[in-house]
Amino acid sequence: MTGRAVANEFAKMRRLRVAPVIAVLVLGVTALSCLTTFTYPGFADMAQDPARRPWSLLLASLGLAVPLLSPVLLAVVASRQVDIEHQGGGWLLARTSGLSPGRLCRAKLAATGSLVVAATLLQSLLVAVAGVLAGIMAPFPAALWLGSTALVTVVNLALLAFHLILAARVPNQLVGIGAGVMGVFVVLAATEMPAWLARLVPPWGYYALANPAEVGTDGAAPGEPAALSVVLLGAAACAVFLAATARLDRQEA
Amino acid sequence: MGSVRAEFIKLRRSLSWAVVVLLPLAAVGSGGGNTALSGEPLADGWHTLWLRVVVFYGLFPLAVGVAALASLVWRAEHEGGNRNALMARPVSGLEVAVGKFAALAALTAAMQGVLVAGTVVAGKAVYGLPGSLPAEYLLVSVLIVVACLPVAALQSGLSMLMRSFGAPVAVGLLGAGFGVLLVALRADALAAAVPYSLLSRATQVGTGVFADPGPITAEGAADAAGLAAAALVLTAVAVAGTAAVLERRDVA
Repeated sequence: MTGRAVANEFAKMRRLRVAPVIAVLVLGVTALSCLTTFTYPGFADMAQDPARRPWSLLLASLGLAVPLLSPVLLAVVASRQVDIEHQGGGWLLARTSGLSPGRLCRAKLAATGSLVVAATLLQSLLVAVAGVLAGIMAPFPAALWLGSTALVTVVNLALLAFHLILAARVPNQLVGIGAGVMGVFVVLAATEMPAWLARLVPPWGYYALANPAEVGTDGAAPGEPAALSVVLLGAAACAVFLAATARLDRQEA
Repeated sequence: MGSVRAEFIKLRRSLSWAVVVLLPLAAVGSGGGNTALSGEPLADGWHTLWLRVVVFYGLFPLAVGVAALASLVWRAEHEGGNRNALMARPVSGLEVAVGKFAALAALTAAMQGVLVAGTVVAGKAVYGLPGSLPAEYLLVSVLIVVACLPVAALQSGLSMLMRSFGAPVAVGLLGAGFGVLLVALRADALAAAVPYSLLSRATQVGTGVFADPGPITAEGAADAAGLAAAALVLTAVAVAGTAAVLERRDVA
């Protein structure tokens, strides 16, 4: 039943044009990361000098591009995927077909989440490939890159889950999209916050913890991702999402 | 005139005030707050504060905000049988398009007013800056409102065509990114024909970032006048286009 529900969500996505939105996310993040890095003063020299950490600059640019674009576009994906139920009486239809609102929301997270995971991995891969094509000579920091990508994936999924629940509870899409836009400002502020303060503004503040490298006047200073904090965010997001979807099941239509 | 009045009546029950107030205040809070968090002083007083508030705001939040307002203005027409009721009125498509556009123009002007007021309050109350916001930034604010007009007209057309609230906002975000790219690459001729580029460029006037030369000179004022003229032409084209499409698509 759950597998069918997830397949059904993929079928809904065709008319909702989720694929173009995900494509905008991947291409936008890749383009912004590359633009920030390749137009950095003296990048051509830096690419030849491993001591100046050219990969850290590219990773920091990726860490800037992801939180600038993801909050709004994830809000759009989530609100479109849920709004179809508000518009067409889908909650009631699903319930009479044996699929409770909570399970429907979980199916939506499984379907949209798989695309978001794929998009996050793809944009990370594309940026790395762009770095190689740009002639960066330093050895590729695979562990740091993969670790940061995994942590950003967790934050993206937590944010997507938040927007799905918000869209399910509040039919007015302005609220979800507005939260996405405001999230961009929170992310921007979080990049300047100390880590303890960024932890207090989940899930947006955790982008700064997942990829803490910052673009400075002389390249980028590598930072240590706060992996434990992001893992805890993922666990908390799972618990809150399950509790919120269980609550949806007890709610009258 | 009746269509314009009707749009303002519809706005009373919408949440448009939330976008008009919260988005610019978030920009002021973010620009001012980041300065406080970084521990760096405002090196050049009001100029630095304006730069930190407005430049990021103009990269895409402003375009996304205008897109959200356009979706909000058209939202009512996509619900129930309102689209049929709208088209059954004895008014032309042009009048409907102008009514929607007028409501959007008023909202974007109010949004800029909140941004300026918020910046002045932050400058005085938080940073204790002497005097007030220089008059040149008030003129730049007028230019920003004029540059918002073609984006508002275009987004109004998109929101008319798309039932979804979020899809035109996503298009607005994409357009803003493309617009910033054109400005960064200094493709001036093409940028003059893209509404989002004009908006992005207007928010940079006098700041010295990206394509902007810095302090406003006589040459800069002429460029700003050209930008305003291009914005008005694009606005007229977008409103006329919206009206023409509306005349031919009378059922949602």
